Amino acid sequence: MRANLPYLVGGSLISLLLGIIVTIIIPAQDPIGPTALARPYTEQELVGRAIYLKEGCMYCHTQQVRAPEANASMIHEPGDIGPESVPGDYYYQSPVFWGTNRQGPDLAHMASRAGIGDNPAWQRLHLQNPRAVSSGSVMPSYDYLTPAQLDALVAYLLTLK
Amino acid sequence: MLSSTAGSASRRFFFAALFWLLVPGVMGLTLALVLYVPSLQDAFPIGIKPYLSFGRLRSAHVNLAIFGWLSQAYVGGILYILPRLTHTRLFSERLAHANWWLWNMMVAGALLTLPLGVTQGREYAEMIWPLDLLLVLNMLLLAVNIWGTVARRNEPKIYVSLWTFMAGTMVMLPVYMVGNKIWDPDGAFTGMTDNIVNYFYVHNLFNAWFTTVGLGLALYLLPKLADRPLYSHKLGLWGLWSVWTGQHHQLNSPAPDWLEYLTVVFSILAAVPTTAFMVNFFMTMRGSWQRVERDVALRFLVTGALFWAFTCVQGVAQSFRSFSMRVHFTNWVIGHSHLALVVDYSFWAFALIYLMVPQLVGRSLYSRALMEWHYWLTTIGMVVFMVFLWVAGLIQAQHWMSNSIPFLDTVRVMNPFFGVRLFGGLLAGAGILCFVYNLWRTAAIEPARRSPVLAAGPGAGQ
Repeated sequence: MRANLPYLVGGSLISLLLGIIVTIIIPAQDPIGPTALARPYTEQELVGRAIYLKEGCMYCHTQQVRAPEANASMIHEPGDIGPESVPGDYYYQSPVFWGTNRQGPDLAHMASRAGIGDNPAWQRLHLQNPRAVSSGSVMPSYDYLTPAQLDALVAYLLTLK
Repeated sequence: MLSSTAGSASRRFFFAALFWLLVPGVMGLTLALVLYVPSLQDAFPIGIKPYLSFGRLRSAHVNLAIFGWLSQAYVGGILYILPRLTHTRLFSERLAHANWWLWNMMVAGALLTLPLGVTQGREYAEMIWPLDLLLVLNMLLLAVNIWGTVARRNEPKIYVSLWTFMAGTMVMLPVYMVGNKIWDPDGAFTGMTDNIVNYFYVHNLFNAWFTTVGLGLALYLLPKLADRPLYSHKLGLWGLWSVWTGQHHQLNSPAPDWLEYLTVVFSILAAVPTTAFMVNFFMTMRGSWQRVERDVALRFLVTGALFWAFTCVQGVAQSFRSFSMRVHFTNWVIGHSHLALVVDYSFWAFALIYLMVPQLVGRSLYSRALMEWHYWLTTIGMVVFMVFLWVAGLIQAQHWMSNSIPFLDTVRVMNPFFGVRLFGGLLAGAGILCFVYNLWRTAAIEPARRSPVLAAGPGAGQ
């Protein structure tokens, strides 16, 4: 067994290295440019995005629309989940907020939902008291954010077109 | 502070693990409660409201559970097993104590930062950069102790558990450093690649650390508790060196299709080590099944192993794009993660602690009845918890795919399921209280007598 040790150690490190090359380095070589939906953020939007991260919004809201549900799945109206997400949509983002769980709806194209998603007044009210506008919602109320923080968060949310 | 008494570091890791089991447990119950009664969140006093906010508490719950409780129980087990399988003293007991202090600084750091919203915001990789560095240092110190002890062993044969400890620490180091982009956490990758790296790390955190080392611990416990030699060492090694699947946590996502198909193939290959482990398990258990009734530690081990097999079946199923399309993003996923982390790996950690802590403190366990309560409350509670989340997830999937139900209605439907999940969680939590109280009484009733920790005895299966 002692003689095998270098092979086992070397072999496992090589397989790890191969894994890193194939699953990280090669996909990272794909030339991906920004799509029309990607946008460089303003300073206020970046502040809002940092609040989104700090409050952990991405644990309950995804920001990725998968091909089979694109333009079909329903948030308020049939199909208003929006178009399929593509890599270029995330061009300016780090970290990305793809998410793994939807206790709340997908937000990738939230600001394109007329009357609700694109309405800053509704957004503000909903953040401060979710159950006042969405009865049965399980979302925490973010009434502890300052007015400036709320403004920034809403400004960021409205970029999700 | 840095005692050189044999076994003292292992004991410390176990008791720290017990403490850190309670903290994320209470957090988890709080999360389950606010999902069931969301308006409670509005009633939290404004002074503490931000810290109990779901998004912050969830990452604290996850990180403390995996790095505070489960990982420390693992390290306690590793430090206990090392001298016994190598028939020598630990490479450095003092180093292990330093490891313990640094480990708990890291966990305390996570407890202080995550509820404040100080986070890197990537799932399972939330800890900020200084804590990342502490984790790498901790893993390095542990690796030194593991490799150092094995290097000076007095037993020529390296039992399979030792291989898993050596491999787990060796692979975890690069996985953690690459996965957390330790050289530049926020700038190294952006966009899609950022996510790909994140789930490379998430999957291999489980592969390299929780699964590989967990199987090593289980393969030490099995012949000990079943009182039979391990059926096959070769099979055990098979299990070890082929636990290598791909990243499959983001299917149907914007990531390249070829990458997704590749991960599906590797996920199916994961059935090989799983089968190897289960064959080994059942063949070793032959003739020992009647012990399961008497011995609660063995019962935890066996229950954990059976649920582990089920986790792997579920995991392979979830890595098909069609099935993932249905259950991903639903509450099914929460059920699956608790299946792996609580009912498999934590059950093995319970078995470890029941076997090892009485030896380390030099007296027998305080109460056998509490052990039974722990087993039944936690098992039944978790089964209720998981089954209802799986069913809830399938219902969500059905509703979402109907394309004709407003999303908010699909949230409202979840309410009774969240109620039952909370009930299951409370049962499991009551079991955990029995467990921790039992161990605390075992250790604290009278001053510990010096225990014959190094009396190596017959090594497991050797």
